[in-house]
Amino acid sequence: MANFNIDAKKEKVYDAIVIGSGISGGWAAKELCEKGLKTLVLERGRIVEHVVDYPTMNLDPWDMELRGGLTPEEKEKHYKNIRSGWVGKDTEHFWADDAANPYTETKPFLWLRGHQMGGRSLLWGKQTYRWSDLDFEANAKDGNGVDWPIRYKDIKPWYTYVEKFAGISGEAMNLPQLPDSHFLPPMEMNCVEKHIKGRIEKEFSDRNMIIGRCAHLTQPHNGRGQCQNRNRCSRGCPYGAYFSSNAVTLPPANASGNLTIRPYSIVQSLIYDEAKEKVTGVRIIDSETNEAIEYSSKIIFVNASTLSTTQILLNSKSSRFENGLGNDSGELGHNLMDHTYRVGAMGKVAGFDDKYYKGRRPNGIYIPRYVNIDENSKSDKFVRGFGFQGEGFRGGNPANIESFGADYKDSILKPGPWEFFITGFAECLPYHDNQVTLNGDVLDKWGQPTLSIDAEFKANEKALNKQIQEDAVEMLQKVGLKDILGFDKEHPPGYGVHEMGTARMGRDPKTSVLNDFNQVHAAKNVFVTDGACMTSSSCVNPSLTYMALTARAANHAVSELKKLNF
Amino acid sequence: MPSLLSLFQSCKTESRLDWQPAFLKEEEVKTISALLDMILPRTETPGALDVKADMFIDKVFAETYDITGQKNIRAEIATFNADCKKNFGAIFTDLNEADRTKVLQEAETTSEKFNPGIWGVSLGKQKPIGFYRSMKSMAIWAYFTSEEMGKKVLSYDPIPGNYDPCKPLSGVGNRWSL
Repeated sequence: MANFNIDAKKEKVYDAIVIGSGISGGWAAKELCEKGLKTLVLERGRIVEHVVDYPTMNLDPWDMELRGGLTPEEKEKHYKNIRSGWVGKDTEHFWADDAANPYTETKPFLWLRGHQMGGRSLLWGKQTYRWSDLDFEANAKDGNGVDWPIRYKDIKPWYTYVEKFAGISGEAMNLPQLPDSHFLPPMEMNCVEKHIKGRIEKEFSDRNMIIGRCAHLTQPHNGRGQCQNRNRCSRGCPYGAYFSSNAVTLPPANASGNLTIRPYSIVQSLIYDEAKEKVTGVRIIDSETNEAIEYSSKIIFVNASTLSTTQILLNSKSSRFENGLGNDSGELGHNLMDHTYRVGAMGKVAGFDDKYYKGRRPNGIYIPRYVNIDENSKSDKFVRGFGFQGEGFRGGNPANIESFGADYKDSILKPGPWEFFITGFAECLPYHDNQVTLNGDVLDKWGQPTLSIDAEFKANEKALNKQIQEDAVEMLQKVGLKDILGFDKEHPPGYGVHEMGTARMGRDPKTSVLNDFNQVHAAKNVFVTDGACMTSSSCVNPSLTYMALTARAANHAVSELKKLNF
Repeated sequence: MPSLLSLFQSCKTESRLDWQPAFLKEEEVKTISALLDMILPRTETPGALDVKADMFIDKVFAETYDITGQKNIRAEIATFNADCKKNFGAIFTDLNEADRTKVLQEAETTSEKFNPGIWGVSLGKQKPIGFYRSMKSMAIWAYFTSEEMGKKVLSYDPIPGNYDPCKPLSGVGNRWSL
């Protein structure tokens, strides 16, 4: 691959600046560069080149000094992240340093960050589902939050557009609440999952169990290789088989000849020009040299990830915007949402002892939402809904078996019992008082104010979680599983790593930050297309929607630019 | 404080380690190694000691435990041996085979078990896992993640390629190592 152009020393003026290179920033860069705009991508962390910078991608456990274990120093570096259960030696280098990048939990909140080129697109779960009008109409219908300024028909062609390029595998089901994507062939369920699917769909006529729809290639696509079922995705994939900025969007952006990507660039604020009534550039701090530098451009895409994007806007103060850029409504920083996480049930599956599988499929099953999708499925306990992810596998914990010695040892060389779990993801309502604020009392290493996060799940989310667990246990009972354990880890927000909101889209500048094309109402050459823009949270994974919104906004930005509207 | 004579005698009667532990003291290593050898002995396949699980566990204590964790594990080994002494008259490594077996049987039936987990976190409210089952769990981890077990005894498939969703177990044999 061609080296990335990281030389932003001489050139300080660009057509477009994109802040951040994760899932949405990568798309913004690709679209803007391919449409001919000289584009500067400002990346807070280091360059991570596809394959070249994936040091652990081929390591077996015994290749690692501590077989994946972390030293006390590494645990201290990730002292917040460690709660997530995700960080190990194999991925530690892709997770941000919690100690060097503090945030304050006014209420418990886990904020997982990836500070490098590609951001969390290297680490994400890769579950990809379209949202439907059930989602885009939800606020208007039940009166929570404000109405989305768009409907499914507005984003539908852009879903197709990004799916065709990204490569999404899945099975078409024609479900109104979960529209089909433009699919590559689906992955397959194993025997136990197929068995359970049959039982669930027989016992519950309102439910489907489908193979997860995901951003993994099930056949070669646009020069990328297909998934090899190693399930080492988060270390970086040598085949480029899953969607990441590094493997998918940044290489074509670079190939256009229009991309400059500047690493170690912490964006301090946007520069607002009162006379021109627009943003003319950004101020950055070089994280290595502490040098302050300004870059200017005609348009700016802010894609720093939900909370970092809002942090930048809040920190962009001027006499026109005393409380943060675009904050005329007072909603900037508010309406933070996440999905509830790790609430469901698991159990053991009898039989199938002579069946196994080959390959570590990086995907599971999905049970689409079935509550509150129409009049017949209406709940009187809560609004909105939930879906389940899950998986069947041979598991068990051999340490729990009450035995030891020769026969025991020989027995545990065989695979353990079949187990199956489902875990729900519930929609979180947009509450004005779930918010982030700038904290001038805690400064980071570069003297910048940090974020205080004050958010919680409330009665509606708790009622959804109660229903999730009850339904999960009931489903596993009805399909005949044994030793069923219902669970609710009662995680605070953040664990779902689907943080959304804080700079929401809306129809009315008095109650929202962004318009229907993700433009800041009062500074239309600024676009926010990461999770910060979300007006509601749906119950399905949001990343595919960020991709589609970004491509749509970039297209709009370029057409406005051609009309000389910026 | 042992007398010079008793030190001398112990040197004569007990085998010395042929490796230098990074954290554990000699008596502690011997306790751990003896436990590992009883839980996962050599059969037609290697045992825990054959794949140097004891050496790896010492390294884990040395390099991944913080000072509190190290203090705790040391105290737990001491308590384990003190209980052996109280109930059977000697520390674990000085017990005969029958008494050692009784110690393990007792620990198996009385100690708490691990809750199942998903995505790296255990589910439900986990009761504290005692020294014995923690060590057993660690032994299995060290055993299964050793190169010899992972590549030669368990079924090794670093690049599966296709996914076979329903393969007869007879066509695989032992569990997948990865």
